[in-house]
Amino acid sequence: MSDRTSTINSNEVGVFTALQSVVGRYRVPIGALLLVFSVRPVVSMDLLLGYGAVANSILIWMLFAASFNILLGYTGLLSFGHAMFLGIGAYVTAIGLARFDSPFVLSALVALLVAGVVAYLIARLIAQKGEIYFAMLTLAFGTTAHFVANYDPGGLTGGTTGIAGGAVPAWIETERGLKYVSLGGFQFDWYFFVAAAVFVGLLCIWQLVRSPFGRTLVAIRENRDLARAMGINTYRYKVWAFTLSGVVAAYAGAILEVNEQGATLSLLTVQTSGDVILMTVLGGANYFFGPLAGAFVWLFAEDFLTDFETLVLPLEQFPLIRVDLSGVLSYWQFFLGLLFVVAVVVAPREGIWGLFRSVVKKAVDRIKSERDNA
Amino acid sequence: MPETDTGERPGTEADVTDAALGATGLTKRFGGIVAVDDVNIAVPTGELRAVIGPNGAGKTTLFNTLTHALAPTGGEGYLHGEEITHVPQEQRPHRGLARSFQSNELFNELTVLENVRIVVQTSETGTFSFGLLGDGRSQHVDRASEILESVGLSRKRETTAKNLSHGDQRRLGIAMALATDPSVLLLDEPTSGLGSKETGQITDLIRTVQEDLGLTLMLIEHDMGIVLSISDRITVLNRGRVLATGTPAEVQANQEVQDAYLGGMKEEI
Repeated sequence: MSDRTSTINSNEVGVFTALQSVVGRYRVPIGALLLVFSVRPVVSMDLLLGYGAVANSILIWMLFAASFNILLGYTGLLSFGHAMFLGIGAYVTAIGLARFDSPFVLSALVALLVAGVVAYLIARLIAQKGEIYFAMLTLAFGTTAHFVANYDPGGLTGGTTGIAGGAVPAWIETERGLKYVSLGGFQFDWYFFVAAAVFVGLLCIWQLVRSPFGRTLVAIRENRDLARAMGINTYRYKVWAFTLSGVVAAYAGAILEVNEQGATLSLLTVQTSGDVILMTVLGGANYFFGPLAGAFVWLFAEDFLTDFETLVLPLEQFPLIRVDLSGVLSYWQFFLGLLFVVAVVVAPREGIWGLFRSVVKKAVDRIKSERDNA
Repeated sequence: MPETDTGERPGTEADVTDAALGATGLTKRFGGIVAVDDVNIAVPTGELRAVIGPNGAGKTTLFNTLTHALAPTGGEGYLHGEEITHVPQEQRPHRGLARSFQSNELFNELTVLENVRIVVQTSETGTFSFGLLGDGRSQHVDRASEILESVGLSRKRETTAKNLSHGDQRRLGIAMALATDPSVLLLDEPTSGLGSKETGQITDLIRTVQEDLGLTLMLIEHDMGIVLSISDRITVLNRGRVLATGTPAEVQANQEVQDAYLGGMKEEI
């Protein structure tokens, strides 16, 4: 009897460890898949926002922040101009749709190509500069992109108003303010398209950072001089990291264009570049999911805190205390800023995601030790 | 050309082109300071050459110029008879010239295995490669493990590099240099900051590695005991210039070296 139980146990253990190793190896894609399809259900819960419209832009910004983290988290490059590539993605797609009547896929592919070429050329010029100079030059190029779009060359970019009319692909249908994708006779919610597209983008980033190429980027981040001495051409790796990160950002921009039914000048502002830095650092540049967590917290807080004006305790049905918070919470950015400062002071590369991981790890360790003691 | 009364006449052309590693008239200036001053050096294949000299003699700068971490102000460098003066630093490991560092230069946040594995990967794929497929961490692991085994770090392969003891960090530095598959290896004070037991272990390691791999070695070292016991020949630097080159016995007997550097060392040994 005892023999039999032990065989069953060892079989179970075998299956369990095999499963564990698969989950371990593919935990990022599995996590990303769960994430993209759970953002809307989560934010739609009554306890939270109660509506899911913001989920689309949260997902797109997550992808944008993840593309930025190829630079900051994996290569150790701080760019103040990453909005430029999100903007190129959105603008070129919108220009293709609205000005040239070209199909969405073609417009988006051209957008990725343009972003790639621009990123490559900029990186060739600045990749070998010192950190401060690199940051300043990206800021300068980012501002230049804003200037160009604002200048409205040849009536292409629409100046301050951006591109609004006719910039929606034919397969997007809008009913009562909700977007649907209708492709080949099927009609489904726009959210699922965004989720799938963002998932594909995250998968590309994951493969990039786990590949031999990505591991070399990490070595360069860790010790640039040592990397060179060991035979790594740090300049070329940085150029291509910048290029690929720009292409993924433009991919996020192309999705954002459809989501917002056009391209607006605000995408290209320095503020957009700043936001993505803050999101990434707030979330934790050390981790794949760090910038995603940062983007989520940032955008969720923006919506949640601006709606959240009256604190009722303990419950709506039994109101004992009502606190009017509207005056305080209109400064939601201040509180987010405070959170950011705390995150940077405590652990500059860990962020919210690092904190979350360490809490989970501690809990798991405690449960394990209690089980072992029992 | 100052001729030493012992050993080679430094830096004749024949020397340089025959040698595994050589330099003629190698000079490095920082503003008004001449850190490396018209150095001629020729290390024959398979030799273990120690470089000694007082602090500030230009030993590390010599290494930096030989590996092109610093571009020389003048002179030429040679590797296996080929002129490499203008070959960029990152290409030199791929030609067989590797180095370790005086301070513990590591990829600090990565594991011991990953530190070595990335260097093996670089050595196999070149200065730049679009390796976008597969899981990087699962490639070249066998070779990296072999190297870790040879330096005695197998049991610490999953340790984060920054958490290693000082001695193990020195070992890892050597392991990473070995991972470039070098024919000529420059070691910058491999035993600095180590206790006597660990110093002995590292010295043994250097000797084993040299014999097993048939390396040409250049070694900066302060510990005269080690220098005299393991080197085939010694180059003495002073104020950026080569004072003398010769066997340990020849260098010890050299009056100039005695005056400039060794002082009362002779009686001690």
